[in-house]
Amino acid sequence: MSTILEPSGGVVKIDGLDVASKSAECKRRIGVVPQEIALYNELSAYQNLLFWGSLYDVPKPELKKRIEEILKLFGLWDRKDDKVKTYSGGMKRRINIASALLHQPKVLFMDEPTVGIDPQSRNLIYEVIKKLHKDGMTIVYTTHYMEEAERFCDRIAIIDNGQIIAQGSLEELKNSVAIKETIVISFSNLTEEFLKQILAKNKDVKQVDDSLQFFSLNAKNDLSKIILQCNEIGLEILQIEIQKVNLETIFLNLTGKQLRD
Amino acid sequence: MFKIALKDLRIFFGDKRGLLMTLAVPIALITLFTFAFGGAGRSEESSETEIIVADEDNSDASKRIISELDSLEEFKIISMPLDSAENLVIKGDEALILVINKGLSDSIALGNNPPFEFKYDAAKKAEVGILQGALIGDLMSLIGTDGISKRSIEKFDNENPDMDSLSRAQVHADILTDFKSNENGNDEFIKSTPLIAEKENSPALIHSVAGTAVMMLLFAVVAMGASILDEKQEGTLKKLLYSPIKPNSILLGKMIATNVVSVFQLVVMFLFAFLVFDLDILNHLPALALMIFATAFACSSFGVFLASFAKTRQAVQSMSTLVILVMSCIGGSMIPSFMMPDFMQNMAIFSVNYWSIQGFYDIFWRDLSLIDSLLISRISVLILIGAILNIAALILFKRNAFKIS
Repeated sequence: MSTILEPSGGVVKIDGLDVASKSAECKRRIGVVPQEIALYNELSAYQNLLFWGSLYDVPKPELKKRIEEILKLFGLWDRKDDKVKTYSGGMKRRINIASALLHQPKVLFMDEPTVGIDPQSRNLIYEVIKKLHKDGMTIVYTTHYMEEAERFCDRIAIIDNGQIIAQGSLEELKNSVAIKETIVISFSNLTEEFLKQILAKNKDVKQVDDSLQFFSLNAKNDLSKIILQCNEIGLEILQIEIQKVNLETIFLNLTGKQLRD
Repeated sequence: MFKIALKDLRIFFGDKRGLLMTLAVPIALITLFTFAFGGAGRSEESSETEIIVADEDNSDASKRIISELDSLEEFKIISMPLDSAENLVIKGDEALILVINKGLSDSIALGNNPPFEFKYDAAKKAEVGILQGALIGDLMSLIGTDGISKRSIEKFDNENPDMDSLSRAQVHADILTDFKSNENGNDEFIKSTPLIAEKENSPALIHSVAGTAVMMLLFAVVAMGASILDEKQEGTLKKLLYSPIKPNSILLGKMIATNVVSVFQLVVMFLFAFLVFDLDILNHLPALALMIFATAFACSSFGVFLASFAKTRQAVQSMSTLVILVMSCIGGSMIPSFMMPDFMQNMAIFSVNYWSIQGFYDIFWRDLSLIDSLLISRISVLILIGAILNIAALILFKRNAFKIS
């Protein structure tokens, strides 16, 4: 989608242009924020942005104007002349994003842009993403944080082992699974033997560490039955929690596994 | 304490590449230096030394001398016309030639000094001294100094019939002593003419500056060339590939930067030699400038080429240390090429160092200008090497560094 890899199948169009055959034109219309911080540490933030912006042939006076705007937007104008190597992880992430915006792309690819940063930087990045979205930019956002996908995305695709296993709006995804709530019960003595007995009596159950997640259409109705089963076989309950269905539980329900890094 | 040591040893011996480099670099250098100083094999073994002889006399006597010299174990005589022989010295291919000038038979008959002449390159003093020493004794034996000394005494007696017997005996003793000392290698007996005379720029200075500058330049440019691998590791290469800039432009940009740094480094080195060691660069500026550009181009291409082989900077560093040291050794950066055995001198042409160093010798020692074909040929070889390595690097980089998954 971002023009580097040969497509394994299908067609991707950016602004009406086929990525495979018109990659040069597509490159001018997209911005990419890679997961790794791809900046030159020995250059200042300003020099970095000047370089990355110059690759897209933005006229220099216009580029300088945009750099000033973006650095102010990300709260880094005062540190513009400091070398990137002196920045904190969060500041580097902000410059990493800023460098992909200078040519005002129509489509922005963001690969986990908030991994490993402080809450202040994360919130600032969230604000910028909301602003870009509001201004009409299409953002393809890759994340392991389901709350980010729920918060920002109009359409969500869940990918497991390189395959899209579900896609649609958040509501569509919620409706696509036969669950409304999740009963999460933590145990003090969960063993393989106990698990086998529970699985024999319940279909939609997943183990996460020392707890079991029971997917349910009506938690209030199912809860007493499940507690009774646990008592009968001798499972000691530590904690019970009822969660509304969310992306995390949808993912777990679809893939049978927790989100991985 | 021992746990720390054990852990470090485990890591050291577990790193196969590091271990290989730890052993391979010194082994390679020991081997090369041994060959370079001619120390390989048993010490009593001696090899034939090639002597270039120009026979201007072309008489039976001169032919006999050449034939008898050639029959000696230590020499292999190669005869050629004087201008060709002189050209070999001027080009730096030979240190010394033996010229047999006209009048050899007459001088032997009259008891005069034989018309032998050594023509040499003063840059190769050590080699010239060894060759002269070896040749003089054999030449004197071959022409028969006893006969000449007797004829000299007879000639003196004929020219001075009235001298008293005491003075005459003293002169006879002096003549015999002179001839005896000639046999033992007194080079006044044979005329010596430098074809390339001593100059302000000493060969040692030229060699030190050129040899060291080229070797250190190679290390610097490999680091520059490897920066593309750093970019790959740090993710900036991938980000560059997302941009509209073409992969070839990325590489060419790297090459331009490496060339600029190379030129800068060489200019600073020669300026330093000019300011501190009085290397005369002012009289050779055009040729020096072109030679610096050609050297910078070849060296930076070599650096980029080496980097294109590897997938990581660590791999480049391991490989480049060995390759550069070997190339610098055979190319004459460490030991002047003429001091090495023939087979190593033949190998030197595969080294960038050789062509660069010889080019700087051409400029500072042989005073060759930009229009001289010899200098042009050296510059052309460097540019050709650079062009070939650049093309190979472009292909290899696309296969290795640009392979993004």
